[in-house]
Amino acid sequence: MASSPAALKSVTAPISKVRERIGRLPWWLQLAVVVGLAMLVPLYNDDYVTSIGVSVLTFAMLGLGLNIVVGYAGLLDLGYAAFFAIGAYTTAIMTVKLGFNFWTTLLPAIAFAGMAGAILGYPTLRLRSDYLAIVTLGFGEIVRILFTNWDYVDGPNGVWNIPSPSLFGFDLVDQNSYYVIGVILVLIAIIFARNLSYSRLGRGWVAVREDEFAAEAVGVPTLNLKLLAYSMGGMWAGLAGAFFASRVSAINPSSFTFLLSSQILILIIIGGLGSLPGVILGAIVVVGLPELLRGLQNARFLIFAALLILIMLFRPGGLWPQVRARRAPFVGLEDEEEKQAAERPFKLQPSVAEGEAILRVQGLAQRFGGVKAVDDVSFDVRRGEILSMIGPNGAGKTTVFNCITGVQRPKAGRIEFDGRPLGRLKPHSIVRRGMARTFQGIRLFKLMAVFENVMIGASVRERNLPWQALLHSRGERRDERRALKEARYWLRFVGLEEEAGRLATELSYADQRRVEIARALASEPMLVLLDEPAAGMNPTEKLELMRMVRRIRDRGVTVVLIDHDMSLVMNVSDRVVVLDRGQVIAMGTPAEVQNNPRVIEAYLGRDDADEEAELAEATGGA
Amino acid sequence: MSIFIQYTVNGLTAGAFYALVALGYTIIYGIIRLINFAHGDLTMVGSFIGWTVLVSMGLQRLPVFLAIALAALASMVVTSVINVGILQFAYKPLLNKSLLAILITALGMSIFLQNAALLVFGAGVQAYPHLVTSSGVFIGGVRISYAQSIFFTISLVLMAGLYSFARFTTLGTAMRALAVDHDAARLMGINVNRVIAIAFILAAILAAAAGVMIGLYYTQINFFLGFLLGLRAFTSAVLGGIGNIPGAMAGGLVIGLLESYCAGYLSGRWQDVFVFGVLITVLIIKPTGLFGERVAERM
Repeated sequence: MASSPAALKSVTAPISKVRERIGRLPWWLQLAVVVGLAMLVPLYNDDYVTSIGVSVLTFAMLGLGLNIVVGYAGLLDLGYAAFFAIGAYTTAIMTVKLGFNFWTTLLPAIAFAGMAGAILGYPTLRLRSDYLAIVTLGFGEIVRILFTNWDYVDGPNGVWNIPSPSLFGFDLVDQNSYYVIGVILVLIAIIFARNLSYSRLGRGWVAVREDEFAAEAVGVPTLNLKLLAYSMGGMWAGLAGAFFASRVSAINPSSFTFLLSSQILILIIIGGLGSLPGVILGAIVVVGLPELLRGLQNARFLIFAALLILIMLFRPGGLWPQVRARRAPFVGLEDEEEKQAAERPFKLQPSVAEGEAILRVQGLAQRFGGVKAVDDVSFDVRRGEILSMIGPNGAGKTTVFNCITGVQRPKAGRIEFDGRPLGRLKPHSIVRRGMARTFQGIRLFKLMAVFENVMIGASVRERNLPWQALLHSRGERRDERRALKEARYWLRFVGLEEEAGRLATELSYADQRRVEIARALASEPMLVLLDEPAAGMNPTEKLELMRMVRRIRDRGVTVVLIDHDMSLVMNVSDRVVVLDRGQVIAMGTPAEVQNNPRVIEAYLGRDDADEEAELAEATGGA
Repeated sequence: MSIFIQYTVNGLTAGAFYALVALGYTIIYGIIRLINFAHGDLTMVGSFIGWTVLVSMGLQRLPVFLAIALAALASMVVTSVINVGILQFAYKPLLNKSLLAILITALGMSIFLQNAALLVFGAGVQAYPHLVTSSGVFIGGVRISYAQSIFFTISLVLMAGLYSFARFTTLGTAMRALAVDHDAARLMGINVNRVIAIAFILAAILAAAAGVMIGLYYTQINFFLGFLLGLRAFTSAVLGGIGNIPGAMAGGLVIGLLESYCAGYLSGRWQDVFVFGVLITVLIIKPTGLFGERVAERM
């Protein structure tokens, strides 16, 4: 908060310094310290304190799960208690009604809750986040009412006498043993959540959270990832539910209200979105604070709410925000392999021959309302060339890009890439086929590190499975190292290796454009579409960029370039396509296009001083 | 058939209340993209202020319409002050920072208002005076009470008033401009902060009106009534297409009717399942609500 007094700053500054220090310790050491501290609680040997500890652990488990949905993937979920309820009821029904052992109910509890996540997720994936909020809220209420009206589980009375688990012949009945089980479950959940966070999945989720549209366009299968987030989040809650059911030994629908869902949401947001230490802190605050205020009787939730608001006002990013920047991301990668990687051929080899059309656009048309943005546009891009697309503002250049990359569905026309029609493929599938792009307005994933942005591109064709990411398996580690090397390679290519660990937003405008190019190239495309890469660059940077475009082509990648800068386009291109008012008015070598009367009219006939100057500069320079 | 009409009449009355509250959600969402969770509870507070004026201060002995008018006026003033206070204190500092942070402060405000009401007015049910009789006219076996017809009419007048305000006044146009683009609106010389505050006052006025009418109509209120009411009103706003003022009105009426039919023909137990089921189905088929949203996608 801007108005926070200086005195407050002097208190919080050392705290955040300590937090940073702790953040730099190896993460297993941090974890060991936390577990060590947690184990002090049962030693205190006060059942009241321990039982609050168990509640904190339950909320932490729930928070870790919701963190996947809201913190990583950015999907607002206001009905998370439903999954918790499904897990709890699964265990209750299986133990009480069907006579199963507690331990055997864990997997079904996880599975049912995960399935419920998929069932909720599938039809709602295309909804925007605020609509998602109400749908999830409705889902939470529906599940609760279903349990309330279900006679088999005694409706509002719920299920009683849920047995406590036993282990090696010991009945685990007292709070201390629940506490220990809770610590173990939370520990496992933290390790899994951390593995996920720094995997291909985790990066994909954060990319979806930061900019879903851009994520899809650079190769992230956004719908699948969102579905997976729901279903994984559900599984976590299912496990927490099973634990909860056996611990309280009697459950009823009133334990799973909207208030619970909102408490879980509150805890991950005051902890810090996406942050694991934040989840633990948040759970302590959300459970512990009302307990501390117990003496205030009726006023305690009033004070709790007031404190909650104050925390948000003074720390809108949460108590322990996640920072994805890293000091030295490439430490420990061998340079020897790096050299081999540099000489490796592109994995995807175009099936068309050099000089043949790798991209064929025929009769492309796109309309927005009554406006014909693109009208019957046809052109070919030949393998190995640099083709530029120029035209006045509003000529339809970016719309053509959007249609080619599958971001928009054209009203008519046929697009063939590498000898095969693209049809109705989703943008991320088109990236996998070997076409990558950059954006006119920079669309990096802002709160991710630069190298992670590039790794998103490098991972588009990886096939490892979610459980591999969860367990950080050997195959997954190999894929990750490969993607990291690719990221280093392409950041070197664009001259930004030194900046790899910083957040994308911290870079200069021109550098952000370079990262976008690196991210596109890391997906090893056969064709790359650059949308005004020179916009906002100074003349020196533009020269460098031109050189880079040639270097890209020299590596065997076909380049299509949109730009306003005529001198850049004329110098670097093999051929030029000129668009005006949605139509192709000229096509050919730079020299041919420059002398085409229709092109001169399109630029000069507008009485636009800027464009005139640009054309004059271009014709003078060429 | 007469039963059906009876359910329709009952549903429209409840729906009109939902619509008034839904308008508050939609105005605020349209302007600052916030699901204002505290809004249902603000309505509850409005209801209690009306109760205080009528019962605790004894104004119910005045002529009926004067008493109700004074209660509504007092309620509108107090809720407006509270709502602007909430805006200035809890939402304004976070406006350009994090939507999720504001959402959490809104949740916090909801809990705060509920517990404040719990402390001040107690946990039990408070009885509103029976000022507007529940007797009425029978038309072909359908009973339409005076309360129903009066409250429905007042609600329609308020909605029409809000609609014309948004549509035909300069301030209303400024508000709609703000819903599309804050920066452009500011560059056009609109005092953004003032317009946001006015939106919060409008929302509070409608909520107070709804709160007092709900008290008079159902004659029993408690500190928790804001939760379900807010939930249904928010559902209405989304059903109609959030940010869309006529949409919120229609959404409220539709939800009222759905509830009434479900409670009448099926069972009250399944009412909420039915309502949410319809909402989810509508959103899956038409993701921007029945009448389309009026919120510019900020890319």
